[in-house]
Amino acid sequence: MLDEKTKKKAFEQITKIVDAEHITRFETDQILNAHDAWPLSEAKIRAGETLPLADLIVFPGTVDEVSQTLVVANELKIPVTPVGGGAGTCGGTLPIYGGIQLDLKRLNKITEIDHASMVVRVQAGVVGIDLEEEVNRFGYTTGHTPTSLRASNIGGFIATRSGGSMSSLYGKIEDLTLGLQVVLPDGSIIESKAVPRHSVGPDLRQLFIGSEGTLGIITEATLRLFPIPDKRQFRSISFPDVHSGIEAIRKIFRVGILPSVVRLYDPEDAALSFSMHFEFEEGHCMLLLAFEGDPKKVEIDETKSIQICLDEGGTDQGDGPSKRWWEHRYDMYYPTRLTTGGYAIGDTIDIVATYDKLENVYHAMKEAMETEEAIVMSHFSHMYQNGGSIYMIFFTSQPDAETAWATYNKIWDVGVAACLREGGTMSHQHGVGLSRSTYTEDELGSSFSVLKKIKEALDPNGIMNPGKLGLGVRK
Amino acid sequence: MIEPDIIAEQVRMCAACPKMCRHVCPTFFAWRSDAPTPHGRALLLHQEITGTREIDERGVEVLYQCLECSHCLTWCKPEIDIATLVEIKRRDLVKAGKQPKGISRLTDLVKKNHNPFDEDHSKRNDWIKTNDSKGPRILYFTGCTAAYREKDSAQDTVSLLEKLGYSVEVTSDEWCCGSPLIRTGDVDAGMELASHNVELLNSIDAEEILVTCPGCYRVLTSDYPDSGHELNKPVLHVSEFLSKSSDKLPKGEFGGSITFHDPCHLGRHSGIYDAPREVIAAVSGSSVVEMERNKENASCCGNGAGLRTLFPDHAKKIGDERIRHAKNVDAQYLVTSCPFCKNMLASQSGADITVLDLPELVVMAEKMQYDKID
Repeated sequence: MLDEKTKKKAFEQITKIVDAEHITRFETDQILNAHDAWPLSEAKIRAGETLPLADLIVFPGTVDEVSQTLVVANELKIPVTPVGGGAGTCGGTLPIYGGIQLDLKRLNKITEIDHASMVVRVQAGVVGIDLEEEVNRFGYTTGHTPTSLRASNIGGFIATRSGGSMSSLYGKIEDLTLGLQVVLPDGSIIESKAVPRHSVGPDLRQLFIGSEGTLGIITEATLRLFPIPDKRQFRSISFPDVHSGIEAIRKIFRVGILPSVVRLYDPEDAALSFSMHFEFEEGHCMLLLAFEGDPKKVEIDETKSIQICLDEGGTDQGDGPSKRWWEHRYDMYYPTRLTTGGYAIGDTIDIVATYDKLENVYHAMKEAMETEEAIVMSHFSHMYQNGGSIYMIFFTSQPDAETAWATYNKIWDVGVAACLREGGTMSHQHGVGLSRSTYTEDELGSSFSVLKKIKEALDPNGIMNPGKLGLGVRK
Repeated sequence: MIEPDIIAEQVRMCAACPKMCRHVCPTFFAWRSDAPTPHGRALLLHQEITGTREIDERGVEVLYQCLECSHCLTWCKPEIDIATLVEIKRRDLVKAGKQPKGISRLTDLVKKNHNPFDEDHSKRNDWIKTNDSKGPRILYFTGCTAAYREKDSAQDTVSLLEKLGYSVEVTSDEWCCGSPLIRTGDVDAGMELASHNVELLNSIDAEEILVTCPGCYRVLTSDYPDSGHELNKPVLHVSEFLSKSSDKLPKGEFGGSITFHDPCHLGRHSGIYDAPREVIAAVSGSSVVEMERNKENASCCGNGAGLRTLFPDHAKKIGDERIRHAKNVDAQYLVTSCPFCKNMLASQSGADITVLDLPELVVMAEKMQYDKID
């Protein structure tokens, strides 16, 4: 937290930049705006604990206001934690060292749709669903539909390198972002031009995608658009085990088919998600597929994919389970009495690996996490030609807060360790934030030093989101 | 009344939800902060219940930055009605004398003048012209907004009822229904108004009571009976009343598309969605062109639960946004069935869209019909 003198000085200087009504020092606002969607934060809120608070919350209305605010923060060496929708699941927006919480929600303009190039320029504080609905009006989709779509913002998508439920077809946000505007810690505003490809040195745009506010603040982006598909077709297939399901997925991609949805539920997750609504063999996995685009192509892709699945020992379950998931895909994000009772806490470790390692990572993580009293269920989603992601979902319920938080941390420790040991990568789309911060060096290995040097060069005072992404940890 | 342990369980869930309803919350839209949001309000209540933190003056302000529109409820899987929980808390705040000064002033005005606009009670509705008729008697409870701020709507309602063959009774002794006080937490003061109105309305010989204001409708049909104030005749909203007589309504050529704004008290709080649409279709000859957010998912106009009294600029911003929704579907007419919503929306509409209360639309159709014959 800042001392009173620095806090007063910062407030006086920032009120010359941002209108005073958009800066708050009230504790109530600090509490209500600290809330993110990290399961540990949510569990702590339920348990009556208070999350780390900022000293000041600044809501700039223009990129110039962001820039000038950073100049003040840099001069005074005040920590700055950028926040968009506050929907991150890793604690990345918690102001753990106090300072300024720089809230981008007022940067909420959708500036321009370029119909010829099929791109949209949008400010960082636009909520995902608002952008999607706006481009839908013109017959487009962003192709980026994470479960948090109603709560998360464009800036947060990019800052955390996020992925939507149809990333197998449309790609993740790093594939969807053509141009960026970023404010660096010294206040300079940089633009990364929106072009489909280039060969002018390294892609600097990618440096900031996934930087989680540690290198600068993303204020605007140019995103790709796609025509709303004429047809979306669902299909579901059950498999006797995880192995045959993964083999089917691998072979579907190998013949050049890109389904929009590919989700393989392991026996535990399949039982929980579908057994109450559909009849399929006990202990089996469930693969959900969706195909979209031109109706004729959809038909061909679906027919070929089903044949591959049957050849791998799958059983056709029609469109039911897949369609049901689609219609209820946001439901799991809501709190329920079961998942919020007492000191219950659950989370998802979304890892990614190539096909040669994927099954080993799955089995190793499951085994390790279960030894720590976790109920573990998983689905393989966000699948690609070369591998894919696993949602290692865990749940634990303990008699008191202290035991619950310790158990939660232990499950994370052993889960990530198993993932790294088997050659997986610890995050596919949720980012690093606080929950994975301490594992970053192990994950990146020898390349972590490059990230550290970049951080030191761009943010020598270490003001930007300290303590996240394994960078700027203070005592 | 919701039991305290149920309230505790609900706010506990809502306070730590990943904000799945925030995108439709009108006050989030107006402030772009996580404070005036459903989970913000729930977190204040949760921290008080768990003993983590008392609600301070700013917290009280946040609890009054709620329109009680219940739009969040439409998007809430666990079905937590934050509007109701906020209203219950407001009652405690009023009892403890902790409500914002603007709300105390509002209450004083209603107590003094029997309306929230600081207008003379004697001029409430003595200006309404009624004709002698031998038709069935209907008692028109005008409500404050139509009486003082939307007089065309009030007079059109009377003219319309008389054209349909009714004998219309308007009483200058009616007081504010109590909605502004009940919704902002002063139930006792609201019930004093209820006692007066119920005694008055029960003493008048009529077959039905008709209201045009959904705020009045909700109070007369729900809050009054819930607290033992029983009316001795049915209460109908004008949209229900007109939809029953849709074959007798005039037909007009409006020359442009008509969209409909669902008032929160009529739609989400009273479940009336189809009746006003049937009336619009009957008089215009075509269906309503729906805004993207309609019926259960309709956005609020920004005028409710004391928000315009306390935060007029933010309330108008919400009204502006609703006008934008109407323009998005190229509507030439934005019709609502609430003088209070109409008042807000008309104040923000500009010249290229016409905002009408439902009775005004019907009377306009009649004039068009007359002009055509003429």
